[in-house]
Amino acid sequence: MDLGLASDDLDKCVQCGLCLSSCPTYRVTGDETMSPRGRIALMRHVQHRGAPLTAEVVDAFETCIQCRGCEPACPSSVPYGHLIEQTRSVLVASGASTPWWQRLAFRQLARPRLLRAGTTVLALAQRAHLVPQRLGLPARLPLRRDPHVVSGRDVYLFTGCVMDAWQRDVHHAAARVLEAAGCGVTPTGDAAPCCGALQAHAGLLDETRRLARRMIEQLEPDVPIVVDSAGCGAAMKDYGRLLDTDEGRAFAERVVDVHEFLAPILDRLPTVDPLDLRVAVQDPCHLRHVQRVHGATRTVLAPFVRELVELDDDGLCCGAGGAYSVLHPALAGTVRSRKLAAITRASADVVASANPGCTMHLAAGGCATLHPIELIDRALSEERAPGRPPRRSRRRSSRG
Amino acid sequence: MSGDPAVDDLVAALGEALAPDRVRHDGAERALLSRDASVFEGGVAGPVCFPVSTSEVQAIMRIAAAGGHNVVPRGAGTGLAGGAIPLGAPIVVSTTRMNRILDVDVDDRIAWVEPGVVNLDLSRHLGPLGFHFAPDPSSQQVCTIGGNVANNSGGPHCLAEGVTNAHVRAIEVVLPDGEVAMLGGLDAEPLGYDLRGVFVGGEGTLGIATRIAVTITPNPPAVRTLLLSFAEVVDAANTVSAVIAAGCVPAAMEVMDQRITVAVERYVGAGYPTDAAAVLLAEVDGLAHGVDHDAETIATIGRANGATDVRLAANDDERALLWKGRKTAFGAIAQIAPDYYLHDTVVPRSKLADVLEQVYAIADRHELLVMNVFHAGDGNLHPLLIFDAREPGVLERVHLAGAEIITASLDAGGVLSGEHGIGVEKQQYMDRLFTDDDLDHQDRLRRAFDPTCRANPGKVLPVGHSCADIQSLRAVPTGVWG
Ligand SMILES: Cc1cc2nc3c(=O)[nH]c(=O)nc-3n(C[C@H](O)[C@H](O)[C@H](O)COP(=O)(O)OP(=O)(O)OC[C@H]3O[C@@H](n4cnc5c(N)ncnc54)[C@H](O)[C@@H]3O)c2cc1C
Ligand code: SF4
Ligand code: SF4
Repeated sequence: MDLGLASDDLDKCVQCGLCLSSCPTYRVTGDETMSPRGRIALMRHVQHRGAPLTAEVVDAFETCIQCRGCEPACPSSVPYGHLIEQTRSVLVASGASTPWWQRLAFRQLARPRLLRAGTTVLALAQRAHLVPQRLGLPARLPLRRDPHVVSGRDVYLFTGCVMDAWQRDVHHAAARVLEAAGCGVTPTGDAAPCCGALQAHAGLLDETRRLARRMIEQLEPDVPIVVDSAGCGAAMKDYGRLLDTDEGRAFAERVVDVHEFLAPILDRLPTVDPLDLRVAVQDPCHLRHVQRVHGATRTVLAPFVRELVELDDDGLCCGAGGAYSVLHPALAGTVRSRKLAAITRASADVVASANPGCTMHLAAGGCATLHPIELIDRALSEERAPGRPPRRSRRRSSRG
Repeated sequence: MSGDPAVDDLVAALGEALAPDRVRHDGAERALLSRDASVFEGGVAGPVCFPVSTSEVQAIMRIAAAGGHNVVPRGAGTGLAGGAIPLGAPIVVSTTRMNRILDVDVDDRIAWVEPGVVNLDLSRHLGPLGFHFAPDPSSQQVCTIGGNVANNSGGPHCLAEGVTNAHVRAIEVVLPDGEVAMLGGLDAEPLGYDLRGVFVGGEGTLGIATRIAVTITPNPPAVRTLLLSFAEVVDAANTVSAVIAAGCVPAAMEVMDQRITVAVERYVGAGYPTDAAAVLLAEVDGLAHGVDHDAETIATIGRANGATDVRLAANDDERALLWKGRKTAFGAIAQIAPDYYLHDTVVPRSKLADVLEQVYAIADRHELLVMNVFHAGDGNLHPLLIFDAREPGVLERVHLAGAEIITASLDAGGVLSGEHGIGVEKQQYMDRLFTDDDLDHQDRLRRAFDPTCRANPGKVLPVGHSCADIQSLRAVPTGVWG
């Protein structure tokens, strides 16, 4: 079966296995079919040797979290993320993967009003104890959301789909921090309802392309698009490749992760007393392995907390993987246990993770997790709080 | 269901002994486990088992013994000589789920581990205690201690510390008949024959290691890492001999030629000069005063041998980056051509420069691209022939060139394998190094462990020596060249 994969990309893999330890699913199963090397070999078997798409082969592809931890580990620069995305899209087209009800669910992501209404229903149901915990929803979904406020047009703040419905507070925090740095912020709101990342992971690439084109049309040119969700940022930075158009490439150039944006202008933020917290940084995979700007998180966060601490697991995925934790709860849970053990070893007061899926997944595992921007916002707002004696200005330490 | 009742029964029996979800017999799994990191094809895996304990391994061995099935242990499958390639449709025993660090005794400097523990995971675990596991193959972030033991693997830092054999104290082994034996022991001088030493390097032909006691090594108080550039590869090789001759034994001495450094720079940007014909990466460790002295010695000898530049790594980050470059060299070359064949011979250090020149000439003669990266301190050469297997006739040339390289090394007084093992790769060269008599004795030693030749059959000993001579093994001769 033709998976539509470029032979040159497939052939780059020399099956050295150096990627194995960076793969969360291999780490917890020890099984080659659940490894990057194995999945690439299966792609070759299917595309080059006509091997049949058995249930086990489909399972090998579907259990990939698409964290892309295997990419930085690979000395041959195999573009694994593109290979699996393309493979998944052919599986979907052939009906072997992502059944109709999942496709229907993914389509709702681009319908903001429906999503918010659904969230309110869920939130009410939660309060009536009707929602089982194993669904991994945030402990308490918001019943209502404060509206977005436009404070200027220096930057767009991309607000997205599920995150806007479930974690709008994080967007508000990001907006306040950007404003404190002197930027007028326009939240994108319903003008750009969804980036299409989750759809792309599920192999619904056409849906992602449709959303990408729509977003490019809706947002004014030349304004930087700041993103506070690592997964969305990674997907939007890939629009150039995905659409293969000049508009797509120009748009992708404007996409910037919120920490990446703040790092070079950090001196514009007021100097405040750091929060008295030891914070463990848990890098979202799409920030670390795909956008590769995780250094900026540390630069930006360090002055605002007492101490930053690294996890000792080399940036292994936490198992969230967008919709993965819902579709493969058992495997996602095992992967998370590994992460939670690393977090325990770091003995931190709180974990900072810059992606809504990861914060939810970790929180569902009983681990207090905040977005780094929430911590920065908190440090800044404690300073702003009325009735506090004015502080001596302190030199910002450059820890981390 | 396989359609073959005997196989179905076997799978069911294994599933009952372990757990049904830890025994797989589907096409995808078997296809993947028929390969390792080597170029060899032609393996055919039987059922694949993921045991979690010694008793489960024992159960597998008993079932195999009762049914006359072959058994092949497998770690991470990073072997380069085809050691884990399943010949004779064996039961494949994957040790990846036996990955617990059982006990660390800092006072006695011993760690007990299960065989599937990843080499680097052990060193990471020991780090906060101030120790590490000394053998550091370039694959250390993925390969298993069990695989290291079976291949007696080495690494850049084995020059002063010795390869795996020097770091293994005791091994619990499940023998091919299902009995459990403890080889070696924690005493300084265990009684009797050193069967532990026989097992290390046994490549899975003597049984399956299920628990291993390794020596842990204290982290050195000070480390200096030097990078020397040369205008000629032989200058680098001569420097290495001269350093050792001067009585200085650095922790590591690695040489990379220009083609390698260019490829590595493209991948990691480690800071290697890409205009030098070769670089020598040398590391010394010990007490602060001593390492400065040794570093100076190496620099002086390097300059006397024509080094065009000598650089000292300024800090740990720079040092780590230089090593990352070295350790990913094999993978990085895939950016130049999709296939490589990595050789692994050892020659006397004094002959290094000589053999290297021959290697370049051999590759030229066969119109192949060769790159050299090697553990220079040990005289362990790793010439890499790189090619595109899709080019018609290229495999024959690679094969011929490989044979000539091995011949040149043996003629210079060298041996067949520095660290990757014999596997299926170098079997046919064994009789170049050993007489028939030698090989017969090796065969008999092996049979003492495995009288019916069911443990990783078809490996190590050349065809013609009973354990390799099982006809059924050759019944799937798609040829190791796929
Ligand atoms: C990029 C790269 C770099 C490498 N660099 C080095 C290097 O610097 N130095 C070096 O020495 N090697 C190197 N190797 C080769 C390889 O990594 C080593 O030989 C390693 O020790 C193999 O470990 P593994 O867990 O992958 O074993 P596998 O490949 O799975 O198996 C190797 C052999 O061990 C046997 N075996 C595995 N587990 C057991 C067990 N529990 N009991 C009995 N037998 C067992 C198998 O049957 C097989 O014969 C490199 C390989 C790659 C791909
Ligand atoms: S994907 Fe890269 S690291 Fe993994 S086996 Fe292939 S070449 Fe090696
Ligand atoms: S993307 Fe993540 S889960 Fe998928 S193969 Fe790579 S490392 Fe494994």
